[in-house]
Amino acid sequence: MLLIPLIGIALGVGIGLFLPWEIPLSYKNYTALAILATVDAIFGGMRAELEGNFIFSKFIVSFFANALLAVGLAYFGYSIGIDIYLGAVVAFSIRLFNNLSLIREFLLIRYRQRGNEQ
Amino acid sequence: MSKHSWKIGVGLASMLLGMLLVFQFRTETNVKTYLPQFTTASELGIKWNRMQTDLNKKEEELKRLRQLIQEYNQEEELKSLRMAAGVTPLRGPGVEITLTDVQRPLKSYEDPNLFIVHYDQLELLVNELWAAGAEAVAVNGERLVAQTGFSCAGTTILVGTRKLAPPYIIRAIGDAVTLKAALTIPGGFIDSQILPFELGIKIEIKDSLYLPPYRGSSVFNYAAVVPEETEEPTPVDGEAEVETDEAGEGWEIVGEGEVL
Repeated sequence: MLLIPLIGIALGVGIGLFLPWEIPLSYKNYTALAILATVDAIFGGMRAELEGNFIFSKFIVSFFANALLAVGLAYFGYSIGIDIYLGAVVAFSIRLFNNLSLIREFLLIRYRQRGNEQ
Repeated sequence: MSKHSWKIGVGLASMLLGMLLVFQFRTETNVKTYLPQFTTASELGIKWNRMQTDLNKKEEELKRLRQLIQEYNQEEELKSLRMAAGVTPLRGPGVEITLTDVQRPLKSYEDPNLFIVHYDQLELLVNELWAAGAEAVAVNGERLVAQTGFSCAGTTILVGTRKLAPPYIIRAIGDAVTLKAALTIPGGFIDSQILPFELGIKIEIKDSLYLPPYRGSSVFNYAAVVPEETEEPTPVDGEAEVETDEAGEGWEIVGEGEVL
């Protein structure tokens, strides 16, 4: 269960180290948001899978929609001089903790069930 | 597909996350290497404010200095320098000292050489006057400046290049009471240099003394002015001692040769 994202991150870091790219300085804050959106998507996907209602297309669409909304908000905030991206950060963080707690519950329940079965 | 689709989705997202992390970390490291001291805009703002304050201070100083240049009086500076150099005649209160050789007839066993004024006595007297705060000194109408030295040639005393003859009249401008006290102090110049040799001395306090200007040349063939910024440090004590020691040894050898 937890193995999939860990393997994925390891692969990603490996590929990233081979690629010579880096983020232009002015897009630094947007990538930070994108990272948050990705983390949110991973936890969201895991939770949906545990609940048994994971739909691939929905996953992809919601991931891009969230990321775009966050980046768009940040850009909008910069152009009018208000740090709206903080709102996106807070929203993502809340969702993260929410998802994490749900995943934890599911995993605990499953672990207990297994224990009972044995 | 539906059973494992989440693995693909989450896996892809995780890969993306890993790559993004690496790129972001790279940028962040670069930023910190190139701009170690400025991390946030607010710090830059603080620095900017401080520099602005500094700039204002410097501008005020510049204004003050410009004002100073405008007020700078070249005439005044030149006058004080000329006074110090001794090229202008001066007038002021001070003392007039008259030194004469012994007056009484000498007895046959007395060495006449002991009872006349020597150049070193004159030099000691003048040094004493400078030390007591004399502002200008003249000996027999010859103004003493930085290059003036006392020497003797046969039976006459030379001050600078001018020959003197007794009586020696030394005029000094300064606080007359202090100057007189400096000479008459017990164990001072008069006690040690005048009384043992029965020389004649007369110290008069004058309200107005005239000192003529220095009339010698002031040509510098060898010395050149050093700009103030490039002033060389004065040698430390150790080096100076070494040099004097060497000079001393050299002198000893020459002296022995002459004696032998």
